[in-house]
Amino acid sequence: MVLIILHAGELDGSLYAWGETPEGRTYYGGKIPAYKYGAGRSHLIGALKEAGIGQEMPRPMAVSAWLPAIRGEPVPSSRLVAEYPPPNGEPEVSGWAVLAVRLSAPEAMTLLGASDKRTIAPGVLAGADLGYWAGAMRLAGSLVARQRFLPGVTQASGKPRASWLPLFTGRDAQRLGGLARCMPSSGRALASPDLDRAPDSPPALVLERVISGMVDYMVRAAPGKTGILRRRRKIFDSVHDAWLNGLVTKSGSMSYEKNDISNLESQIAEWRRPVEVANRAPFRLCFRLEEPEEADDGDAIEEPNSDWFVRYLLQPYKDPSMLIPASKVWGGFRIIGCDDSRAREFLLLSLGQAAALSPAISAGAQDQMAGHALDAAGAYRFLTQEADALAQAGYGVMLPSWWTGKGTKARLSVRATVRSAATGTGTFTLDDVLGFNYEAAMGGQGISIEELERLAQLKSPLIRFRGRWVEADTEQIKAAVEFLKRKGGMGTLQDVIRMARDPEGVKDGIRVEVGATGQLAQILGGLDTGEPPVEIEPPEGFEGTLRPYQIRGYRWLAFLQGLGLGGCLADDMGLGKTVQALACVRNDWKGAGTGPVLLICPTSIINNWQREAARFAPGLPVMVHHGADRRRGKGFAGQAAQSAIVLSSYGLLQRDAKLLSGVEWRGVILDEAQNIKNPDTKQASAARNLKAGYRFALTGTPVENTVGELWSIMEFLNPGLLGTRASFRRDFLLPIQAEGSSAAAARLKGLASPFMMRRLKTDKSVIPDLPEKMEMNVVCPLTREQTSLYAAIVRETARQIYDSEGIQRRGIVLATLTRLKQVCNHPAHYLGDNSAIPARSGKLDRLTEMLEEIIEVGERALIFTQFAEMGHMLQRHIQERFGREAPFLHGGVPRARRDDMVEQFQKDGGPPVFILTLKAGGTGLNLTAANHVFHFDRWWNPAVENQATDRAFRIGQKQNVQVRKLVCAGTLEEKIDQMIRRKKRLAEEVVGSGEGWLTELSNEELRSLISLEEGA
Amino acid sequence: MPKLSFFYYPGRRDVKGGIRARSRRGGFGTSWWALRWVKLLEDFDMGERLSRGKNYARRGQVASIDVRKGSVSAKVQGSDYDPYDVRITIRQISAANWKRVAKRLFERPVLAAEILSGRMPADIEEVFGRLGLSLLPGQTSDLKTGCSCYDWANPCKHIAAVYLLLGEEFDRDPFLIFRMRGIERAELLELAGLQDMSSESGDKASEEPAPEPLESDPDRFWTGDVWEDFGQAHIPQVAAALPKRLGSFPFWRGKETFLDEMEWMYGDASPAGRDAFLAERAEGPAGRGKSQGA
Repeated sequence: MVLIILHAGELDGSLYAWGETPEGRTYYGGKIPAYKYGAGRSHLIGALKEAGIGQEMPRPMAVSAWLPAIRGEPVPSSRLVAEYPPPNGEPEVSGWAVLAVRLSAPEAMTLLGASDKRTIAPGVLAGADLGYWAGAMRLAGSLVARQRFLPGVTQASGKPRASWLPLFTGRDAQRLGGLARCMPSSGRALASPDLDRAPDSPPALVLERVISGMVDYMVRAAPGKTGILRRRRKIFDSVHDAWLNGLVTKSGSMSYEKNDISNLESQIAEWRRPVEVANRAPFRLCFRLEEPEEADDGDAIEEPNSDWFVRYLLQPYKDPSMLIPASKVWGGFRIIGCDDSRAREFLLLSLGQAAALSPAISAGAQDQMAGHALDAAGAYRFLTQEADALAQAGYGVMLPSWWTGKGTKARLSVRATVRSAATGTGTFTLDDVLGFNYEAAMGGQGISIEELERLAQLKSPLIRFRGRWVEADTEQIKAAVEFLKRKGGMGTLQDVIRMARDPEGVKDGIRVEVGATGQLAQILGGLDTGEPPVEIEPPEGFEGTLRPYQIRGYRWLAFLQGLGLGGCLADDMGLGKTVQALACVRNDWKGAGTGPVLLICPTSIINNWQREAARFAPGLPVMVHHGADRRRGKGFAGQAAQSAIVLSSYGLLQRDAKLLSGVEWRGVILDEAQNIKNPDTKQASAARNLKAGYRFALTGTPVENTVGELWSIMEFLNPGLLGTRASFRRDFLLPIQAEGSSAAAARLKGLASPFMMRRLKTDKSVIPDLPEKMEMNVVCPLTREQTSLYAAIVRETARQIYDSEGIQRRGIVLATLTRLKQVCNHPAHYLGDNSAIPARSGKLDRLTEMLEEIIEVGERALIFTQFAEMGHMLQRHIQERFGREAPFLHGGVPRARRDDMVEQFQKDGGPPVFILTLKAGGTGLNLTAANHVFHFDRWWNPAVENQATDRAFRIGQKQNVQVRKLVCAGTLEEKIDQMIRRKKRLAEEVVGSGEGWLTELSNEELRSLISLEEGA
Repeated sequence: MPKLSFFYYPGRRDVKGGIRARSRRGGFGTSWWALRWVKLLEDFDMGERLSRGKNYARRGQVASIDVRKGSVSAKVQGSDYDPYDVRITIRQISAANWKRVAKRLFERPVLAAEILSGRMPADIEEVFGRLGLSLLPGQTSDLKTGCSCYDWANPCKHIAAVYLLLGEEFDRDPFLIFRMRGIERAELLELAGLQDMSSESGDKASEEPAPEPLESDPDRFWTGDVWEDFGQAHIPQVAAALPKRLGSFPFWRGKETFLDEMEWMYGDASPAGRDAFLAERAEGPAGRGKSQGA
């Protein structure tokens, strides 16, 4: 499909979707000129279907879109659509006809839900306005979740409709205003074709209309448990019945006598009045809880003798830094921008409404507006209940700093001291049973049973204990006393780790802290710092030098390995996760009988692992479990038992799940572990079912940032650590993502961080160890299609080469090499048939995977190829896959355009990928914005490749540069590469920039060079 | 003007969509002020008529009630084809006395705040009492009642029904009592030198944001700024707190209880909102990426 960028703009309260495409439909038949990049009917509908819309076929209609243009030439939203017109004039907004589809609220929400990434589907991109409206949907969802809406009646084209209306008070009003200021103009650029001037609706109104539509839909469509009213009735006894019914029907329409409707409207207005008035207040009423004066006797446990006080303060919206005592305003103090009598009335009304939420306000009503006094129980009620209700209703609430929202900072806790390992062997494993001693502490200070009982007797919920406010919850105290009387308990190492890492993890309602000594303390310390308490030597038999940070990573992995714990190594791409893991496996390998480690990775890097293992740990027997001829049944187990590493893919993890879960693995390593981030997938559950002594996950994407994905990976690594999926959702996911709870986020971090290690290229601890330029080969597999094409060419030409001589032979050799290179690149490159691109080339798949990581972290890459055709294919594929512009510089690009491309690429926020042919881009350019260089195919001349690489690696480059040469396993690419490495001298002797030297090889040499190596 | 009639009237005609009492059995109203109001009706010693009046109120025979300064007029469907007109006149507190009341009220601003936001302070009668006044009518002579029905007894069951429904409305909006006793919200505010904002409509227009032309700069046109504060999606423990705070609906006529209906509608809505906030869809990640390579 030709690329399309979807947009959405508001028109008459609804969102309308339309599209931009390079091949726009240019004729509509209307009076206004058609937008030349406007997507046609079937293209638009096709794209919307990709986004999940299309149960009922939307009807596109012509509307006018008022878009920027220079000298009458429209400027599209992206260069992916068309080149921008030359900037030789002032941009102006003018109207064009486009085809647009009116989206119902559920359709809009489906589209926006699919628009969280730039690419909705290959070739279907989301414009910035879609991302903007997705934000509006979040705000609408937040309002609905918090129930900030009210029922009402609206008029829709002259007919009454029962509607739900969002309520923007306090912070929500600020959010609405702030979000409105961020609206791209394209979000409000659509207008009826009759309008002869550009629309100018204020963004705040446009946004409010869109959010209102979403809120109304969400509330009326929420799946009803009761649902009793959801009956299709036409006749109602009263307008109130009709209204209630309309609030939960799909359309919301209500037909009733005009008089009754207008009565209803005024009743609604009367009912809503308190809210409306509070809405217009120029300031916010705030309540500040002030603690009693400190008593001066030094008694450890004391009840305050003076009162708590809630002070009333006013915070003007225009200057939130000001806090004015309400009594001053009541007494006539002038707030700037608000006249006296208004201020006093708003104050009265706010306070009156607050009294409904906090009964103490009226109970403690004094003659003055200063505030009201409370006893300890009242203060506790204010802290635990009323403060929350007042804050929810939009009042400001200021609480003492020793209050955390859940309780006092100084809290009752139980300290569990681990006695000893019950097994007494000196080393711990996960299942060892340990014994505990318990003692209680209040705010970190020891407290005896007698003191605890005295606290409980005071019957005051807030007590000063040794100078600090503490909560004396009798239930909690009882639980603690029971703990103490029990005098001890048992648990496993995992229990200890959980307690130590997550003291909040509720145990009988009290915080439990772990005190450990000796070896266990060392282990806990090691988990905390990532530094193993014992010296772990670099492994024998490991060929190659680990950089200092790699040694740290290896030691950390080996430490967890020894404890039988799981760890996730999430270093940046290029930092060498593979070698760290290999070092660890090598270290653990004590010859046959050790037991095999199962290593699962994407198919595209099986070859790479195989070669890395052979290079860095040559002594390790590696078995590749892949391909149609892989072993099954008993043969598999037998061979596996002899191996140190069994390499397989995610696909087989799922397909051969039974076979793989039947083996007791020494360890399991998942490379590119983001493949199991969705716990529902079969491969994720297959991974969890594997039996292993230890588990590692390797990934270059920051999984720790996505709470939902973290569970899946952690459940694989350390089953049970984060709780069940349901409890994880309840205790972590919802509090963090839906409620923004930093306490839950901190707990999660505490639990997960000992098992995560992530270093960035830019970390201070890493940079000094990194060379400025790292070069590596990336060995990629051939797809089945590539393999058969490759074999056919070899069969066909071997004879011809034998039978020819001289210039003719040279020609045949070069042509054959070219054709084989094309096959390695992509079947469509060789066939030249413009056929589909994805999933047909092992090299392209691997490149795509790596680009995904690079683009995700905001870095940029150069891709060199020697074939212009391949460059075009790469460009198309990358643009459709990532929705980002990928300029392609080849010999046919004029000089001015070339300079423009370079300039765009070097700019902040420029395209993430720049494709170049070796010839056009290999010299002269300065492309230091890139820190990754890919050689998609090889030019068998290192001097030429190095020159190209230096486009990025030159003066002005501030980052380390990673250079990757893609070669296909078992093909001439890999073999020539080896040949060049072996005969470094050869490379140096090559004159010029050609590949002519290859034609000088003997027939025998050529045959072995081009033949396809088995088992690749 | 009762017509003379020799026919026996079989009883009330049903009315559709009349005002329905929230009370299903027992008394009307729950607040102390509503109970005091209802108590006064009982002082009239109406016998059977009172329970018939309750029945009328519960069955929704009262078609409309209009509370004005010093009087209440209502339409009640009885046995006749046309509804009867009911009128209750209440002795008003004089303007001079209101002035004294206001002075006292605004000396304790929280009291005034509560009254103005539709709440009844517990010690309100103390304020009135110190001035030798009473907010609620204290004796039957404070009231005059009349009905267009044929019953010679006054108060009749129609009057009783209206009276009882008023009690329930006082629960919801105690300021109705102030109005009945001769003062409007704006007037009370005025006595304290304040103006009534709630009836204000003039400045609404000035709050409307001004029209804003579209950006002509292509970059700014197509891409807005980044906004990240969307709040959170904490589901409240008590559903429909907002409507509950606003109280039950004025003169509700629906079959179902308004706030009960609001409670489940709000309660059901919250999770849907949270899902949208988290961009989770009930039916799972539909449509996304499933047509790869198509």
